Amino acid sequence: MLYVENVETFDLSVTINGMEIKRTVPTHLRLLDFLRDDLRLTGAKEVCGEGECGACTVIMDGETVNSCLILAVEAHGTNIQTIEGVTPAEGLTDLQQAFIDKHSVQCGYCIPGMILSAEQVQCDCENPDRETVKQGLAGNICRCTGYKKILDAVEKDGE
Amino acid sequence: MSKEFKYIGKSVPRVDAVGKVTGQTRFITDEYLDRMIYAYPFYSDIPFGKITAIDISPAASQPGFLGVLSASDIPGQNQVGVIIEDQPLFADPLVRFIGDSIGIVVAETESAARQAARLVNIQYEEFNPIFSINDSKAATGNFIHDSNVACQHQVDKGDINTGFAAADQIIEADFKTQFQEHYYLEPQGCIAIPEENGGITIHGSIQCIYYVQKAVARVLGIPQSVVKVIQTPIGGAFGGKEDIPSELCARAALAAVKFNRPVKMVYNRRDDVQLTSKRHPFQIHFKVGVSNAGKLLAAHIRLEENSGAYATLSTVVSYRSSIHAMGPYVIPNIKVRSTAYYTNLPTTGAFRGFGSPQATFGHERMMDIIADHLGIDPVELRLKNVLRPGDLTQTAQKLEVSVGAEETITSVRDRSSWNSLRQNNQNDRRYLTGIGIAASHYGNCLGAAGWALDGAGVKIQIRRDGSVGLAYGLADMGQGALTVITQMAADALGINSQRISVLAPNTDLVPDSGPGVASRNVVMTGNAIRDAAAKLEPILKTAAAEMLGTDAESIKIENDLIFVDDVKKSDFNILADYLFVGNSQMDMLGWWHVPALEYDPVKGIGEAYFTYSYATHVAKVRVDRLTGLVFVDKIWAAHDIGKAINPAGLEGQVEGGTTQGIGWALTEQFKFDRGRVLTDNLSTYLLPTIADVGEVETILVENPEPLGPWGAKGIGEPAIIPTAAAIANAVSHAIGVQMNEIPLTPEKVLDAIEGRTH
Ligand code: FES
Ligand code: FES
Repeated sequence: MLYVENVETFDLSVTINGMEIKRTVPTHLRLLDFLRDDLRLTGAKEVCGEGECGACTVIMDGETVNSCLILAVEAHGTNIQTIEGVTPAEGLTDLQQAFIDKHSVQCGYCIPGMILSAEQVQCDCENPDRETVKQGLAGNICRCTGYKKILDAVEKDGE
Repeated sequence: MSKEFKYIGKSVPRVDAVGKVTGQTRFITDEYLDRMIYAYPFYSDIPFGKITAIDISPAASQPGFLGVLSASDIPGQNQVGVIIEDQPLFADPLVRFIGDSIGIVVAETESAARQAARLVNIQYEEFNPIFSINDSKAATGNFIHDSNVACQHQVDKGDINTGFAAADQIIEADFKTQFQEHYYLEPQGCIAIPEENGGITIHGSIQCIYYVQKAVARVLGIPQSVVKVIQTPIGGAFGGKEDIPSELCARAALAAVKFNRPVKMVYNRRDDVQLTSKRHPFQIHFKVGVSNAGKLLAAHIRLEENSGAYATLSTVVSYRSSIHAMGPYVIPNIKVRSTAYYTNLPTTGAFRGFGSPQATFGHERMMDIIADHLGIDPVELRLKNVLRPGDLTQTAQKLEVSVGAEETITSVRDRSSWNSLRQNNQNDRRYLTGIGIAASHYGNCLGAAGWALDGAGVKIQIRRDGSVGLAYGLADMGQGALTVITQMAADALGINSQRISVLAPNTDLVPDSGPGVASRNVVMTGNAIRDAAAKLEPILKTAAAEMLGTDAESIKIENDLIFVDDVKKSDFNILADYLFVGNSQMDMLGWWHVPALEYDPVKGIGEAYFTYSYATHVAKVRVDRLTGLVFVDKIWAAHDIGKAINPAGLEGQVEGGTTQGIGWALTEQFKFDRGRVLTDNLSTYLLPTIADVGEVETILVENPEPLGPWGAKGIGEPAIIPTAAAIANAVSHAIGVQMNEIPLTPEKVLDAIEGRTH
């Protein structure tokens, strides 16, 4: 959180992973910082901070967004899901399991964002082909894997 | 080697995958401690000069400000140079690049620390900066250090003049490679926690925990034994977290001691790019003498490296590039000079391949130019000269076994249908197509120049309940070390892998195992596991024999079970408890070091590395005649890795390394404005995305190395080494112009197609 005097604040009300959250937040607070620093939902990562990498991806009212580009106040009244909320209480989603089975994970820093974007691809299209998956994940950078095994996981799980 | 193992050689899933797919893995950025405060560096914003005044008052009036620390606050030595002692922790009074840290601001929150750091006002006397290798070389005074040469390495074998005299053709060419930013996704970060005994505990994204231990002890002026360094999961490193974390951790440690509170420091992305190391740009000159039949007879090679403001790891990058200068070929007469020059740019240091990708770009472009001159197919030319068992390397090291270079070449040739693609291009009005090959070798571990650091340990501890803890000293930076360590340990002990927990690397648990670099983890940790298991075996067998009333020779431990003369009698749980109640020793330290290497550093002759990994890539490209854009449709990547411990994980390394190579070859262009990085984030520094990458086909060549654990050699770095050269060769083939400088940006390619010279 920014440490500034006389900040304007806002009474934020937002549903996160199914829980209604009410907090007073500075108006300049980014959604990413609100999730990470205030709520300790640290699955979303900051990598570029400028909307280019997708590591901070969360799902807002059914659409993936880069939470580094959104102010917390813009999330007022919305329904947000983070990787923590997408993960079932027991076990994993099919896609998470596919990432493990297909060896799609290396360092893991991009992976929460990648999985949320991939869930979105599969949600938008029941049986995405390789090109569709590529388009859907083009906003998510991974520096480790070369993407091949990520494609395999998203395609396979969509089969 | 033909024995079937339960885990080794199998593509078992990653042991740390669940935390990573659920977001539960806690990276250093995800840690928040009670009473934690934050530190952030302020740094020079001129490339070269002298500090004349520091005014902290604008920073000090910021809410949350706690204090500033700079050179005069260092109780120990103001020195973090990892090999050459040329690098202060805090610049004083000279600043040598934009990003040279002058001090840190400490504040109650992260954003307060970052904001305040920007407000510190520094006055300088400015000097004339130097940015290029050529200007650095030409300087006659105002050197950046005592001189502008950071280091030099050489190889002198045979007599090049005799070789050139005997040659039918002498061919010369120049090559250039650019900076590359690691762009690991997780930024540099650490937390320092002061301890009651006057010591300190560091947690962080750190490849080399023992480097950090040494640096922190030195800066604080305390013994290494009270500096504990623990590695948190690393969100990508690629060499970028080899030496840089020593700076971060020493700075955070100073603040932790001063304020007696935990201190966190994480770089924001722009600063991470401006302040930390990159891949060395090289300029390379080749003069090669060949016979008309295509035999290499003599080579004179000059490698020049831009070291940036400090030497950091230039010494070893320069060493490695000199040893690999002529590639995996037989060459009777050779002279190599590899020199790193200081400039007023950010430092260059360790980056996957460590000088080898640059050296390979030189020798593999050169091989294609020679092939073109002689009218010989590039594959043929390589096969005429490639190193085979019994041959001498360029340093006159005799290779006996595990020399798979030839097989990597022939297998990519066959898998890519080289002959037909090379001869029949599929050009159309829009696209020119081409195919190119590049072969390479990679000396495993640290080599003769780093032999003193080339030992590593593991500690295996069996618990009373039959679970097993394994501590190691290197790093999992995402490549899957935890998984292959588990596989090797389970097979070495004959137990189920579920029993094994690999502990986070921690300087308290394992003796100094050197750096987590040089693709050395599988070889070093694997051999140390074999040693520990061999030491535990007699203890386990004696106890089992006693427990079962037989002799140790008839005991076999396999698959979690205890057999007497091949009859199942008990299991590992029962044995573990029996060991405990019998007061047996239940832990062992395993240790392995690279055998002594006979090497003459003056002549550059001898055993430079104990063994080599080999790799050959073929790239198939399409070049857009209208835009100059290059598309890499497919890469065939053959790797001789001795033995694949985890084939799927290994493929992942090859795919990832190859993709970084594609970025380096095509889009990753670094731009400065008088020492300030302009390409300091993803909107300007273009990494390959999923939409940009074509297919990668990995071909594993298993040519076991007797000194490698279960025959294995390193793969992490070989994965990237030949890629850019193969792409440049393919583009040259496609457009009919020799492309000797990367990145192959659309402008460069279009100029070449249209006959404009640079
Ligand atoms: S951190 Fe938000 S897109 Fe990169
Ligand atoms: S797994 Fe490391 S960045 Fe994707």
